[in-house]
Amino acid sequence: MPRFIIQHITLYNYEEPVTDSTNQIILFPVEDEHQQLVNQQLTITGDPVVEIYKDYYGNKVGSFMNIAPHRELRIDSKVEVITVPRVLPEDIAEPIKQWSALKLLANDVLFLDFLRQENFSALAEMKAVADAGFYEVVSVYLAVQQLTEYVYTNFKYIQGVTSVETTLEEIWKLKAGVCQDFAHILLAMLRILHIPARYVSGYVCPKDEGMRGEGATHAWVEAYIPSYGWLGLDPTNNCVVNDLHVRLAIGRNFSDCSPVKGTYKGTARQTLEVGVSVAYDDGMVSDEENSFLKSQPVWSNPVDDGLNSYQRYMEMIQQQQ
Amino acid sequence: MLSRVADSLYWMSRYMERADGILRMLKINYAWSQDDIQEFSWKPVLRIFTSLNPEEINGFSLNTRDVLQYMVTGKENSNSVLNIVTLARENARSVQDHITKEMWQCLNDFYHTMRDDNLAVALQKDDPITVLDILIRQGLIYVGTTDVTMARGEGNSFLNIGKFLERAIQSSDILNVKISGLGADDNHADAAYWKYLLLSISGYELYLKTYRGGFEIKNVVEQVVLSDQFPRSVIYSVNHLHRHFERLKTDHSNEGFDNLNFTIGKLKSRIKFSTSSSIIHEGLKKYLTEIRFCLVETGMSLNKNYFA
Amino acid sequence: MPISDLLQSYLVDNDTWDEMYARASVREQYTKAIDFLQQLSPEELNKKEDLAKKLFMSQGITFTVYNSGEGIEKIFPFDIIPRIITATEWDFIERGIKQRLKALNLFLKDIYSNQFILKDGIIPAQIIFSCPHYLREMHNFAVPYDIYVHISGIDLIRDADGTFYILEDNLRTPSGVSYMLENREITKRIFPDLLPNNNVRSVTEYPNILYRNLVSFSPRQIKNPTIVLLTPGIYNSAYFEHSTLARLMGVELVQGSDLVVDNHKVYMKTTNGLQQVDVIYRRVDDEFLDPLVFNPTSMLGVAGILSAYRKGNVAIVNALGNGVADDKAVYTYVPAMIKYYLSEEPILKNVSTYHLAQEEEREYVFSNIQNMVIKKTNESGGYGMLMGSAASDEEIFQYKNEVLANPREFIAQPIISLSSAPCYMDGKLQARRIDLRPYALCGPDGVEIVPGGLTRVALREGSLIVNSSQGGGSKDTWVLGSQGLAGESE
Repeated sequence: MPRFIIQHITLYNYEEPVTDSTNQIILFPVEDEHQQLVNQQLTITGDPVVEIYKDYYGNKVGSFMNIAPHRELRIDSKVEVITVPRVLPEDIAEPIKQWSALKLLANDVLFLDFLRQENFSALAEMKAVADAGFYEVVSVYLAVQQLTEYVYTNFKYIQGVTSVETTLEEIWKLKAGVCQDFAHILLAMLRILHIPARYVSGYVCPKDEGMRGEGATHAWVEAYIPSYGWLGLDPTNNCVVNDLHVRLAIGRNFSDCSPVKGTYKGTARQTLEVGVSVAYDDGMVSDEENSFLKSQPVWSNPVDDGLNSYQRYMEMIQQQQ
Repeated sequence: MLSRVADSLYWMSRYMERADGILRMLKINYAWSQDDIQEFSWKPVLRIFTSLNPEEINGFSLNTRDVLQYMVTGKENSNSVLNIVTLARENARSVQDHITKEMWQCLNDFYHTMRDDNLAVALQKDDPITVLDILIRQGLIYVGTTDVTMARGEGNSFLNIGKFLERAIQSSDILNVKISGLGADDNHADAAYWKYLLLSISGYELYLKTYRGGFEIKNVVEQVVLSDQFPRSVIYSVNHLHRHFERLKTDHSNEGFDNLNFTIGKLKSRIKFSTSSSIIHEGLKKYLTEIRFCLVETGMSLNKNYFA
Repeated sequence: MPISDLLQSYLVDNDTWDEMYARASVREQYTKAIDFLQQLSPEELNKKEDLAKKLFMSQGITFTVYNSGEGIEKIFPFDIIPRIITATEWDFIERGIKQRLKALNLFLKDIYSNQFILKDGIIPAQIIFSCPHYLREMHNFAVPYDIYVHISGIDLIRDADGTFYILEDNLRTPSGVSYMLENREITKRIFPDLLPNNNVRSVTEYPNILYRNLVSFSPRQIKNPTIVLLTPGIYNSAYFEHSTLARLMGVELVQGSDLVVDNHKVYMKTTNGLQQVDVIYRRVDDEFLDPLVFNPTSMLGVAGILSAYRKGNVAIVNALGNGVADDKAVYTYVPAMIKYYLSEEPILKNVSTYHLAQEEEREYVFSNIQNMVIKKTNESGGYGMLMGSAASDEEIFQYKNEVLANPREFIAQPIISLSSAPCYMDGKLQARRIDLRPYALCGPDGVEIVPGGLTRVALREGSLIVNSSQGGGSKDTWVLGSQGLAGESE
């Protein structure tokens, strides 16, 4: 049973002191039969009270505030996690039975959220690829792996070409992106085939074999396999997820799982650095602290900015009932 | 009281005081323009009450009706009475539950009067004094209604702080623009110049009663800066500003209060211990610039400590 | 001797229920008022109409319409002739709304916890999960007294035989109650003595009841909890209402920028530092309420307010997520909710509704489109709807395409010929179509409805659309006291 010590640092620096900062973090490893949290140390600038609750999808979500003027916000989460190897599906049932078992879930409250695919204009193109006639001849277990491979081979892994605001449409056209883009594309394709699929955020801890997604939070997908359950699929690394992935949260998409987000009042000029390092139980460390932070493009807008006056006006006159 | 509410009350009051100042200035200058075509110029009015730079003022049509239109109903002029009253009303609208219904109605009436198309026409075609008087009276109804109906609480203090700060800045600006251009002992400007200056700030009659020997720059400075009888003098305004500010003191000590109290107190003593001779001796322009700096600093400090 | 004969020119459409006239004679509830009006000459009536307009304008009872960059103040048109509701009619309406609200509150509690009603298949889960106002953030915590809908403005209409129908459940931030109050004040001014002589029940208790309820929702059991009304600001069309209500209740009117959340408590920024806020009556939509959780660019809300709410440190009125209950597709299931939760038969009827997401119903609607009104499920205020009887072929064609692109977002209803009431227009009485929006308040002790409401009028002749955004006006709405109790109004 692998044991990991993961340190995840998020560091914001502001050019001028900012105030009224409010933040939400989803940095608490899932605890279940496949994953055990030994301990967690969370250190945040200014030592605010972190209120933790369970959201709709069962994720632990923390929130905290810092209203006094400050130039820096550092969120340092250190966790020790043990993962349990998984038994993979036996996959013995006839494909036709598996697929019709999935169709029965269409109105099930537990799966509705993971089956609903938002409309977007390239949907028809994507449907042509994720074609039921092609995939439903094999078992669901094989189909999801083939789709994972499709995303892996047809999309280029390039950092910096997409952001959290990039739409599915744009990723599909660009045929490139990072782990969360890969995950979003695979989610859409699975849902087109009526396979319940959910977004997973977490860490990847490959030790020797290099994997994409190290040094930051990673994202992948879980698909529902009839008479088995949720199976992790990592389209960025083209693999079925086992005990080298540590889960933080699940949801419909990235925004249900966003590891750190916040708002504040003050200057728009800020920098963000993020780093994730993994230490293994044999003492090996993937990256030394202090050298592992990498600067990130910043997408969040401070509260005082981001809207033009027309939008602000439209907001203010929002229709009343 | 909400910081935003205090801020809105303060600005509502400043805008109303400014509108009153502009209207009186326009009325008297219009009368002057009919009296003395040689001496008269609209330039000082534009300098005091608009954000136009000297170059723009030189290029501006000094036709009386054009100036009146620009200053009263000009939509493009951010300091036109129309825009100022609109701003006062917007501030009032956002604090409607903190002023009396009568005050709101009276600002609302003023606003609708300003927007009436007939007003702009009358300003072009009829007697401008009649038009300006109607507007000045609207302002006076506001002042009276406020005095009679507004509760004497924190809100009232911020109204008065705004009013007297605006008035002090206005009086020092008017004096600065109108006099500092003249030499220290320049008493050569003719009687009409002084008369209209004093009339425009409603101080002519008081001057005549106080100083019986004709116009002297020293006396004008004394009345406009130092007289505690004259309700538009700088010292009168600063005294009242201070009086209303002191009412904001609460039980728990507030660092902001102490800082501001010190700033205003310092300004008060600076004026109190001046004489018209000492002012002229050290240079009127320098003196007024220093006073103005302190007044603006007071405004910024209010912003930081009470309105943020 | 009547000076004018107002009734002579009054024409009522066939197949329409008229509130005043029945078979060429005046209904009993209108007789006193009409007798009085007939004593007045047209000049006097015109004068009263003018006075009403002046009162609205000088009191700033206006909304701002923006046109070519300039704000123009308009009054919400007011018709001086009151709409009169009998004690019996009111009793029926009151019972019906109370029942409906009871069920809707239970539904919201259920949908944000166990979802029994979905598990039992009473409402298709698809409809709930595809509703944009279904907030998953509302799961896993309790709201005070399990009340979600503290304030509602349910719209009622009457069809040709006088039957009342529910048209829309407005459970989010219903507006217009200030017009109920102001219209009454104007009537007092223009028709002295008419109200007491008619035994009209008073509506002035509304702000007091609301205030008492708001106090009772305070999480801190203290003597004077801090209650605020959160407004989007002075440019909002309902700003007048926000400031009126704040004033009538004596609570602070705040904007998002006045509030800050620290350590999961909400504070307002005052000249004396931060002051903790206990109850927020918000008139800002869910989507804008917390930029941390919802729309990140919103300037109207307060970041972190939801975490304070979840922690129970502040009460928010109405609760978030109510839009799942007044969604027009969910509306169809309200009678089923009443049976499911209360084991009662619905008192007030629904208008029959077709779901355009279902192919058969859509086909039926499309082939009978001239008798249908099609509406967007998550819009209100008359926005985005199509009146099949009045639309051109081109408009119908375009609208159909819109429907086909997103059928879940549309429902259709047969066009109902709303009841009419007399309006004083151009010097004579004219029949115009009306609806009725009573305002119900839910508190710890149950539902209270002040006897009255907002009657909206379609001012254009023949029009069936009463929304203010579509050229509607309003009337004072009288609920008469019970017979024999003249003068004894609550």
